[in-house]
Amino acid sequence: MIIECRDLKKTYTADGQTVRAVDNVNLSVARGDFVIILGHSGSGKTTLLSMIGGLTTPDSGEVLVNGIENWHQSDARLTEMRNQTIGFIFQFASLIPTLTALENILLPLSFGNRKAATRREARDILAQVGLKDRENAFPAQLSGGQQRRIAIARAFINEPAIILADEPTGDLDEDTEQEILSVFHEYHRQGTTFIVVTHNVHLAESQENPRILHMRKGVLSERNPARSQAA
Amino acid sequence: MRTLARQINILDYALSSLWRRRLKNASVLVVFTAVIFLVASFQMVTDALTGTAQEVLVNAPQITLQRMSAGRQVNIPLAYAGKLGAIYGISNIVPRVWGYYFDELTGANLTIMGLDTSRMPMGDQLRLTLAEGTFPAAGSRGSVVLGQAVRDMVRARGSQLLSLFRNDLSMASYQVAGVFSRATDILTRDLVVMSIADARDLFRIPPGQATDLCIYVANPTEIGTIARKIADLLPDTRVVTRPQILKTYRVVFGWRSGFGSICLLTALTAFVILAWDKASGLSLEEKREIAILKVLGWQTADILAVRFWESLLVSGLAFLLGVTLAYVHVVFLDGVLFRPVMVGWSVIFPPFHLAPAMNAQVFFLIFCLSVLPYLAATVIPAWHTATVRADSALSGA
Repeated sequence: MIIECRDLKKTYTADGQTVRAVDNVNLSVARGDFVIILGHSGSGKTTLLSMIGGLTTPDSGEVLVNGIENWHQSDARLTEMRNQTIGFIFQFASLIPTLTALENILLPLSFGNRKAATRREARDILAQVGLKDRENAFPAQLSGGQQRRIAIARAFINEPAIILADEPTGDLDEDTEQEILSVFHEYHRQGTTFIVVTHNVHLAESQENPRILHMRKGVLSERNPARSQAA
Repeated sequence: MRTLARQINILDYALSSLWRRRLKNASVLVVFTAVIFLVASFQMVTDALTGTAQEVLVNAPQITLQRMSAGRQVNIPLAYAGKLGAIYGISNIVPRVWGYYFDELTGANLTIMGLDTSRMPMGDQLRLTLAEGTFPAAGSRGSVVLGQAVRDMVRARGSQLLSLFRNDLSMASYQVAGVFSRATDILTRDLVVMSIADARDLFRIPPGQATDLCIYVANPTEIGTIARKIADLLPDTRVVTRPQILKTYRVVFGWRSGFGSICLLTALTAFVILAWDKASGLSLEEKREIAILKVLGWQTADILAVRFWESLLVSGLAFLLGVTLAYVHVVFLDGVLFRPVMVGWSVIFPPFHLAPAMNAQVFFLIFCLSVLPYLAATVIPAWHTATVRADSALSGA
């Protein structure tokens, strides 16, 4: 298993009320899986993704990536793992406004210890997401959809084994959404593992043999129990 | 190699980050450079003045003896020199006439010094203070050595002679035998050196008298002791030692420099506080940037390193620029901004050329007082800001 979550719990306190964002989640993801987690806003999808990516500490439970528990390693090792193993696609474009599109894409390579990727590779990915001619544009000069595509290109630049995507097609038009989903499909075909949280049910239909999970009030359940490795 | 490559990447990011915020960083650089320029200029003017004074006073008498009457200086009889014979350690006593001459035509106040340089122990060294010519030979009459300003005054009159009026308004003319070098300007710019006989003649001082006696001692460490003995032996005299004169210069320049430095250091402190305030108050955009970088694999230490490099580059460049500008200001422009403050507006110090004095300790001190506090003021708050939670980037907070 490339990802294993065991008895994950996370609660938040807001306005004096305790909210169970993630409630005793168990999840195993095999290498090459395409996992889609469906759920409404506030169901705990983003928190779960954040814990898998080592960004949020669980109250209890474990997250193992490639067999190593996230929170049993140093901050340096954890960030190194994040840099080399995981590509993040945020709910919002999250680009650095003072960097050009190409510079934003190259950011994860600043500390990449793999083979040195070149600007040409970054341009190739930019072409894949349909923004070949916008490499020198700043985020403010791009539409919301274009910004999202830059953020997606950035997630792939390091050729990560895992992609964690939070509402990746949230504010894209239909054509762009199809382009992005075909990029996902291509990377998935090459063996990349995806965990995508969304409330877009159509996204599931675009991929081959996806695992569909549902999240509701912090509890995770699988639509097809036969494939389930989730509790 | 990985660590080196990482540091190069961080430096590269810091440089591009500086460039991206070039307007903001340029304004910080300008203000910081200006503050360092002012502090360094002030310190360099002080060093140049004290250094020049110290250098020139090496040739001054170790002890100067003047006779006092009713609290005022009066001529001293040469017979006083004979009374000092009993004090062991005095190697030489040379009479000197020292006075001031007001030139009504130019409004200048000239310093007239009459002495016999051949009788002074460092006669050879005195020659080194000359830019051209020689001191008047022993016993010679009618020739003078001039400071730069007096030489210019003579030239402006289109004359080769310096003409002065005696008390009875009769004129005395002197051939210019030499000119003091610019390095000694602080003490010689308005100076006219002539033979003691000529000086007595000009001021109408009787042959058996002088204005003061220059006393030289065999062991310089004994100057203080011998000065006390002279004061005990001749209670109607004022005994001035060379270390006392040097101390006076240091006190005068040091006090003025200290006063100015306090004002400038206050400005520097205000700047550092401003930098601290700016660095500790993180904008939403900066917080998001840090969160994004952390998600993408940057460590807290990397973000601190970026801030460190940014601050070091800005403050280091400001330091180099500030010190270089201060050097140009002091050495090539004669410290035009601060000289009036440092030397005062009195006629005692007419315009003179500042000899450059570079003190590594002072530069190190300025570096410690400017660059290090700026680094601390920007990097320490960055520690707090670098702990922004990475997951805030996911939610777009």
